[in-house]
Amino acid sequence: MGMLNNLADLIKVKKDKMTILVLGLNNSGKSTILNHFKKPNEQSAIMVPTVGFLVEQFYTMGVSIKAMDMSGATRYRNLWEHQFKNCQGIIYVIDSSDRMRFGKKSIECNCVVVTSFTLGLPVVVKDELDLVLQHPDLCNRTVPILFYGNKSDLEDSLSNVKIAAALGLDNIKDKPWHICSSNAISGEGLDEGVQWLVQQIRFAVLSHRKGSKSKHSSKINK
Amino acid sequence: MATALTTNWLHVDIGDETPQLLSTLSSCMTLSDVQCDGYVRLLAADISLEDEEEQPSAKLKVFRGLKLKQEQPLPGIPTAIESLYIDETEPKTPVVAVAIAESVLFYRHLKPYFKYTVPALDAEELELEVWRKLPVMKSDTHDALLQLLKDVDHAKLSRKTQRLLQLSGDERDSFISTHKDSPVGRVGNIVAMCCLKRVSSSPNPPSHLVLATDTGRVFVLEPQGFNLVYQARTCSYETAVPSLISVHGTYETDFCIVLGTRNGGVYLLRKANNEGQEILKLTTALTGLLLLPVDQTIVVTSMEPRYLCYSKRGKLLFQLQLEAQPVCILPLMLAHLGITLVAVALQGGVVKFFLQRFLVDELVLPETVAAMLYGRMGMEDHVLTLTTQSGEIFIKILRRVTRFEADVVAAAASANKTITNSQRIAEASSILDKPKKSSIFVEQAAREKQKAKASYGSFQVELWRLRHTAARATIDAINSSESTISGDLTHAPVKLSAEVCGSGPAFRLYLTVQNLSTFKMASNLIVLLHADRRHYTMSQTLARLPSVLPGIPLRVDFEVVAVLDALDKLPPASLTPDNSQIRVMLLKTGQSKPLIAAAVAMPQSEAAF
Repeated sequence: MGMLNNLADLIKVKKDKMTILVLGLNNSGKSTILNHFKKPNEQSAIMVPTVGFLVEQFYTMGVSIKAMDMSGATRYRNLWEHQFKNCQGIIYVIDSSDRMRFGKKSIECNCVVVTSFTLGLPVVVKDELDLVLQHPDLCNRTVPILFYGNKSDLEDSLSNVKIAAALGLDNIKDKPWHICSSNAISGEGLDEGVQWLVQQIRFAVLSHRKGSKSKHSSKINK
Repeated sequence: MATALTTNWLHVDIGDETPQLLSTLSSCMTLSDVQCDGYVRLLAADISLEDEEEQPSAKLKVFRGLKLKQEQPLPGIPTAIESLYIDETEPKTPVVAVAIAESVLFYRHLKPYFKYTVPALDAEELELEVWRKLPVMKSDTHDALLQLLKDVDHAKLSRKTQRLLQLSGDERDSFISTHKDSPVGRVGNIVAMCCLKRVSSSPNPPSHLVLATDTGRVFVLEPQGFNLVYQARTCSYETAVPSLISVHGTYETDFCIVLGTRNGGVYLLRKANNEGQEILKLTTALTGLLLLPVDQTIVVTSMEPRYLCYSKRGKLLFQLQLEAQPVCILPLMLAHLGITLVAVALQGGVVKFFLQRFLVDELVLPETVAAMLYGRMGMEDHVLTLTTQSGEIFIKILRRVTRFEADVVAAAASANKTITNSQRIAEASSILDKPKKSSIFVEQAAREKQKAKASYGSFQVELWRLRHTAARATIDAINSSESTISGDLTHAPVKLSAEVCGSGPAFRLYLTVQNLSTFKMASNLIVLLHADRRHYTMSQTLARLPSVLPGIPLRVDFEVVAVLDALDKLPPASLTPDNSQIRVMLLKTGQSKPLIAAAVAMPQSEAAF
């Protein structure tokens, strides 16, 4: 098997490798989501709060993904920004049942209410998201962001439409984003999201290459 | 709206889901992981005093996040609720202690599991005697017996006797017959309770409970075997009834208990002694008392309304005037920033956050805040829960990126802006700012302590070297201008001549200053005389000269008295013809070097007759 892999590596001259960042508050299910993508024999049965961050490696859809599993605890959230520079995509995990840190006005999906809410009543999820988006290492890059509305199986969880409205995701103009509700324990909705993220990163890489190529050719023309 | 984004606190909107009303006190709120699932819940006693029912009642409510999950009635009105760990067994299970009247009720997994009652004090001899007599004597003699008791201080009687004294004649007999066999003892109500960690400050260490009763006694209760491990009195006299308590330290090593009494006194109890030491006394009532962990200062809010900070010895460190009456006070230990803020809720709905003496933040709520609680709630570390007087709950979460800094300049500016008369008094009586010790200073002080002799020696050597250099420079300056005509070409040339009149011991020294120039004026000149103090005394050694015009000589005179020995009327032995001279220097202001330096030889003085 190992030999085969090596052979495959040799044949495939350029193999896709992606670095993504997994962010979100503590207890939102980041490690559980990554656990789902790992091989069955590597999965762990008991999840403990992550300390600092962990680097996980997994294969999906023909790409090797290096995922930085950042701890969401308050005292480790300052580590997030150090990884912004060398990431190609971000997964932002939201506990859709955590009303206290999330705010509840989103229940009424009235546009006017929602905008006033997003302006005046930032809660922790929104606040941390804004800090991520406004960081100088990210604000001028087109990094795709995938939102997981996790724990969708719980009774008082919010739908992803409501989450998007509450977080004011419409205001993110410079980055591609996608939200999907998920259940990290059963694995529901996870693959759909990662599929989107991988596509976006591929697209970004391609367009970047094209851009650099065209630049290159224009230089030659001169 | 724009300001809301720049605030340090994120507001959690409870909204119109189910408005939870909670009338409580800061001491009756606590945060506890009661279900042992890592989700910290808010526990609070909801006290309803103005109910239609005749008896005021209280309920213990448990909130998960914003939702009321559980409630159970309490057997009385609690004075304090604490959540503590009693042992180190895993999984760690918190125990909720509720102090009601003279007992503490312990709940585990929200099920009652122990009731502890504080020990009774021995009753007065007279009271015991009366209770021995009451059941056996006839009813008509009761009045006389009770009259005896009425002379005793009411607070020193047992509750049974107090009740008996309130009853009318016909109710008395049945009361006496039912209560004749119950023990006569004075039990103090618990008025304040807090936790004292047993060993370390690691997260969730096992704790002891500190109880203060209205009889002025303080107990430390060990909640495993329910033994009292420490007993003390607030102070030597009974009238000091504690109402506020704050504890710092660990039980095994050392601890300090600060008690605030109802009449404005603050007492300090240490592990080593079991009687409180009065550290300060205010004339107005206290509304809040805190012993801050880091700098070991005592912060007090009073009805004046002031915010005061004292050292443990009772020295006033600073005081601030508040705009309204302080209602409650809360320490916010921000371990990630290494600071402790003090939140003071004022009448009217303002909550101020102080870092030492500086106001670093402010919240404005629509109504007066009655109770505050800070700590880890739910999954978030820095949550501030505020309950208003009408029972509304506000939850604020501290932003992660918030930094509190004592802005000295801004504080001074705001103080100047809203200066009032009383504020000025407060400022005048506060202590002056002292600069902080720099690391260089501290290092140098330590080095000096270690090598005291060597550093003193080297300092003296350097001092003498400096003096030597200074003296040499002076001599050089004087010698270089030793002539009777100034050599400086930039100014008008000046000539100085001297003449000594008299035979001694009093002489008169006449100096003539002549401007040799034809057109320049010599101005700003000073004459300085210098002589050995042991030989000559001069009443005036310095003279500022008026401007000297060309051609007109200026004459000034000085009185010089030769020093003679009082006994033999002879000049001192050290006076020789070589050094019997007076140095005259002509200086120009603004110039360090004299224009002319001359020595006037003095004639030998005759003895005074």
